[in-house]
Amino acid sequence: MSEKSGIYPRWLWQAFALPGVVWLILLFLVPFYAVIGVAFGGVDPIFLIPVPAWNPLDWSAEAVIQTLSGFLPGGDYWAVFWRTTLYVAVALALCLLVGYPVAYYISRHARRTKSILLALLVLPFWVSYLMRMLAWVNLFAPSGYVNDFLAWSHILPDPPDWLNGNPVSVVLALVYGYIPYLILPLLAALDRIDKSLLEAARDLGASPARAFLHVTLPLSMTGVLGASVIIALPMFGDYYTPNIISGSPTTSMLGNQIDLFFHGGPQPQIGASLTLVLSLFLAVLMTYYMYSVARSTREVRDE
Amino acid sequence: MAPALSRLAAADDAPMGPGGIPLARPDKPVTLPLWEDPIKSGLEPETDGTFTVFNYSDYIDKALVEEFGKQHKVKIQITTFDSMDQCITRLATKAVRADVTNITPDRLAQAVAGKLIKPVNPDYVPNLKKNVWPSLHSPFYDQESRYTVPYTVYTTGIGWRNDKVKEDIAGLANPWSIFWNSQAYKGYVGVLDDSREALVMAMLYREFYDINTEDPAAINKALDDLKALIPICNPKVNITEYQTLPEGTSWLHHCWSGDLLGGVFSYLPEGTDPSVLSYWAPARGKGPIQNDCWAISASTKKPVLAHLWLDYIIDNTVATDNFLNFNGYQPPMVSITPEKLVAEGRIPENLKTAVMGPDDFGPGALQEMTLTPKGQALWQSAYAKFVSGA
Repeated sequence: MSEKSGIYPRWLWQAFALPGVVWLILLFLVPFYAVIGVAFGGVDPIFLIPVPAWNPLDWSAEAVIQTLSGFLPGGDYWAVFWRTTLYVAVALALCLLVGYPVAYYISRHARRTKSILLALLVLPFWVSYLMRMLAWVNLFAPSGYVNDFLAWSHILPDPPDWLNGNPVSVVLALVYGYIPYLILPLLAALDRIDKSLLEAARDLGASPARAFLHVTLPLSMTGVLGASVIIALPMFGDYYTPNIISGSPTTSMLGNQIDLFFHGGPQPQIGASLTLVLSLFLAVLMTYYMYSVARSTREVRDE
Repeated sequence: MAPALSRLAAADDAPMGPGGIPLARPDKPVTLPLWEDPIKSGLEPETDGTFTVFNYSDYIDKALVEEFGKQHKVKIQITTFDSMDQCITRLATKAVRADVTNITPDRLAQAVAGKLIKPVNPDYVPNLKKNVWPSLHSPFYDQESRYTVPYTVYTTGIGWRNDKVKEDIAGLANPWSIFWNSQAYKGYVGVLDDSREALVMAMLYREFYDINTEDPAAINKALDDLKALIPICNPKVNITEYQTLPEGTSWLHHCWSGDLLGGVFSYLPEGTDPSVLSYWAPARGKGPIQNDCWAISASTKKPVLAHLWLDYIIDNTVATDNFLNFNGYQPPMVSITPEKLVAEGRIPENLKTAVMGPDDFGPGALQEMTLTPKGQALWQSAYAKFVSGA
């Protein structure tokens, strides 16, 4: 390998990163800087559409400061921020509770059925997220199949109104919508665990449960964290799930506020500022994830 | 360019809006400045190529648009937007090159100040005087109809299911109060997802009729009243009442008259009697009325044909067809009266209240109109607090 790499110039291998870098610049950095420009910019006096301030010397922090103050206790965004955090935390916990055993089963115990199960996991991606949520509306309607079944089976003779501002429905819909995005990376992480480590644990007398707790679980934590980050980030910005499943102000999320200010009106800077605050909050989670990955990589290397 | 602003005439004390154009109010009409002269009379319509109609989605019958294209030998392209904000943004950024566009009176000053629409030569639009209500020949927001022809008219009121709501809403001393007494219908109550409409409803509940106010105290009072609805009935905030009322998934909804009729025409489950639905709108001057318009986009390459479109859309047959067989939104045609619609069996007697008449418009009417940017920010921020559920 090292001999072969000597044949080619070093820049060739680095050039493989170019498409990804261009992609990142065009579709992440530039748009993100545009959001910053809008947050610190102004609005067109006639059309009231955002006029981004590209030059930091032209920035006005008024909207950002106003938005930040809204996150203080009792502020405009205090309640919606904590509601969003709670929904995402509960949905994430449920996703892990359901998704981890599924990923574990497919990784460890599915043999000939593995490819079929994988295909089944990917199946929801064939239907758009929006359509899947709309399907829920029919299923969970007052006279929908779910309530009919609950009443028929006497599990709940008087089934609840799932769609009438019910936070449980919003959280369950988030779980339903995002869980495939959690299972797939988790499965990849579990697949990467060296099986000989498990065999060694068992040879040394560990029960299956202890082997799982002391080998599989710790080694899969980076995957758990990665998969959690993958679904938590979009869940924090989600606005159409609560819109479709509930539509009530009592279940609205931070994404709904961003949508409202970006969708029109004279205050797009507030929408952009909310986006920045959310990004900062998520950056904390992301930093912790990157720190954990770096630490595990270091530990593996040191061993 | 602009012989323009010198031709501006308006009430002296009107507050200024975009581009220094006074903010129009029903009792303060505005003559919009001409930023260029209209096209000359007697020109032949353009043929060939594509004619782009820019409008709200599902707001015009595609078959009627295609028919116009066939008549004039042009290919038709229908491009849609979700909101007037999106419409203005896409026209302003030239993301869309339309020939004709929907426009609402409250955005007209923006469109003219930003030169997004072209002035109209009335010689090409004889149907305006011939077919449309006289009260809209020279509307307050566009005196002399310099830029627009009216497309639809509608009221904002209350729609409800008679099989679920027991109160005689129309007979209440203050029908808006039903929302604040709707504990029995919790979970089945809806408020229009529109910052102006939602807050205006709360203002009208308090019999406050200055619906274009920019007074923070009045707006905050309306916000407090709206927030009070949450523990009472946990309202849904949406604009899907055209579907949810006929299907019975909402029972009591803040409602646009056009959505109610459209819902009856298109969403009523088979076998359901339309009399299951009722609609109440406040008397003239006591509740908001609105109208939407068509205008010629400044980017048109077919200005003569665009004029013919404005005339086509207020042709009696076309307008009636679009109303009764497609969107449920009433065009302001002299030929359409509630009595006639009921007699012909086009709408049920109980929904006569959703049909407007020419006298609904005029100086005493209430219409939500353009605010200053500061005023808009006040309304938007208040509405954001309501929908955040704080």
